[in-house]
Amino acid sequence: MWTDVAARSRARNEEAALAAANAHLATLRHDVSLTLFANAVTTAKREALQASIATTLGRLATTNATLSSTTVDAFLQGASIGTLQTCLGGVQNALGRIAAGDNDQAAKDISAVSGPCTQLDGGTSAGLVYPFDFPDPAVILVGQTYYAYATNSVAGNIQIIQSTDRIHWTVVGSALPSLPAWAQSHYTWAPSVAMIGGSFVLYYAANVAGSGKECISVATAARPQGPFVDRSTAPLECQPALGGSIDPDSFIDPNGGLYLLWKSGGPGSSKIWSEQLNGTGTAFAPGATPTVLLTPGQPWEAGTVEAPDLVAVGGRYLLFFSGNNWDGAHYAVGVATCSGPIGTCTDSSTSPILSSGPGVAGPGGESVFSDPAGAYWIAFHGWVPGAVGFPNSRDLYVLPLTVSGSAPAVGAGG
Amino acid sequence: MNGRVNARRGPWVVGIVAGALLAAALGYLIADQVQAHDRFARAQTSLGVTRHHTGTLSAQLATLRRDLGLLTAQVGSDTTALNQDASQLQGALGALAAAQAHVSQQSSQIDSLTTCLGGVERALNALSVAKRGRAFAALESVASSCSSAAAASG
Repeated sequence: MWTDVAARSRARNEEAALAAANAHLATLRHDVSLTLFANAVTTAKREALQASIATTLGRLATTNATLSSTTVDAFLQGASIGTLQTCLGGVQNALGRIAAGDNDQAAKDISAVSGPCTQLDGGTSAGLVYPFDFPDPAVILVGQTYYAYATNSVAGNIQIIQSTDRIHWTVVGSALPSLPAWAQSHYTWAPSVAMIGGSFVLYYAANVAGSGKECISVATAARPQGPFVDRSTAPLECQPALGGSIDPDSFIDPNGGLYLLWKSGGPGSSKIWSEQLNGTGTAFAPGATPTVLLTPGQPWEAGTVEAPDLVAVGGRYLLFFSGNNWDGAHYAVGVATCSGPIGTCTDSSTSPILSSGPGVAGPGGESVFSDPAGAYWIAFHGWVPGAVGFPNSRDLYVLPLTVSGSAPAVGAGG
Repeated sequence: MNGRVNARRGPWVVGIVAGALLAAALGYLIADQVQAHDRFARAQTSLGVTRHHTGTLSAQLATLRRDLGLLTAQVGSDTTALNQDASQLQGALGALAAAQAHVSQQSSQIDSLTTCLGGVERALNALSVAKRGRAFAALESVASSCSSAAAASG
């Protein structure tokens, strides 16, 4: 009897323990489930956090990179602004000087900002050396110094600048402070200078007062930088029936003789002429008569040939000239071959040797010269692309010229 | 006669009945004890299994809780890192916005200066050859740009 009671009691106790254990197990299971859920939620939260961190770091890296490049841009812009302000300041000063009639100081004002203004006009890669209006240049070498002369503009009637390296030019001033009585001021164009018998002779086009026609005159000076004096009472050459004469070019023939070349007429009727000068170069040779060297013959010329520059190279006579409209981007430089200084000339330039390209538009008004080592260079004016047409500036460019091949090539090394 | 027989039989019957009752009780007790023993054995077995599960689950729970603790700590540090990164990003975005505004303002200033310079240079060229009308027109065309450039330059 007692053993039965004890057995029952043991069984009940064990069952109670089992029930408690089961309850504990259920609690544990519940806790495990809750913890698993919490782990899953926390893991998801962490993954979301890490994704956010990765995204944030990515955006931060991108932002920092953009910030760096923007900071560099801002710095470069600051430099550009400084350059613009410097150039603008010089040009504004020059404008004020011109308004007051002080061309010399105006020329010095722009010359002082030549470097910054060159940068703004595209730099020197296209041959730009003087970033201001310097049309129809003519370059000569005297000793170790180059002198460049140009059509009237800021520096006066005939502008002069000088250089010892063909790259850095400084203003000298006006080559021709006074004009002869017959000439109207502000229309003195396309100079050419020759050293003849120890004297410097300047040929230029001037407007005959009251006629509206451009004609050619001559002035002399003891020094290349002038002042040149024109004592003429009438033009040296004038062809009013042909529309006038402009673009003089003096040529000293290595075989002897001085010659003057020029252009007459307008679009559709232009001609390039040549006539022998006397020994001093101040008048035509007795008995000489003008000869037509060239008329337009190529489509690219669009009816105009002008700005002649005759060069004797290795027994050949090369006639460089400009074609097309001077006031546009199609203006360009061609070359013809001549048998002598008064012809005949053959224009086989089906395309120009120098035309619009990167950094320059409408190049023309060329002048070929050699350096002390005998290498050839070509100076010319050109518009800055995007600023074509008067009164924008025709800047001065200088590039090497190869004349040894069958056809001259610009920019291929002197 | 029958009365004496019945008198003699009475104790035997009682004895037999009592014996039967005793045997029945004994049988019941034995059976009940066996049953109780079986219950005890089953409960003990189940208890063993349950305790085994309990032990396993307890270990798993401990591991899970440790993992959860680690995760929670990591979430805390990640949250701190994210807040710092977000703060840095906000600072960088602010600096970038300021730099871009500066670049935009400078671009506008450059445009004004470039336009102004072009006009002043055209005026200079025109005035140099006594084309006063064209000089005036060139200046007039860039007057607003020159004013903007001057204002931006302070």
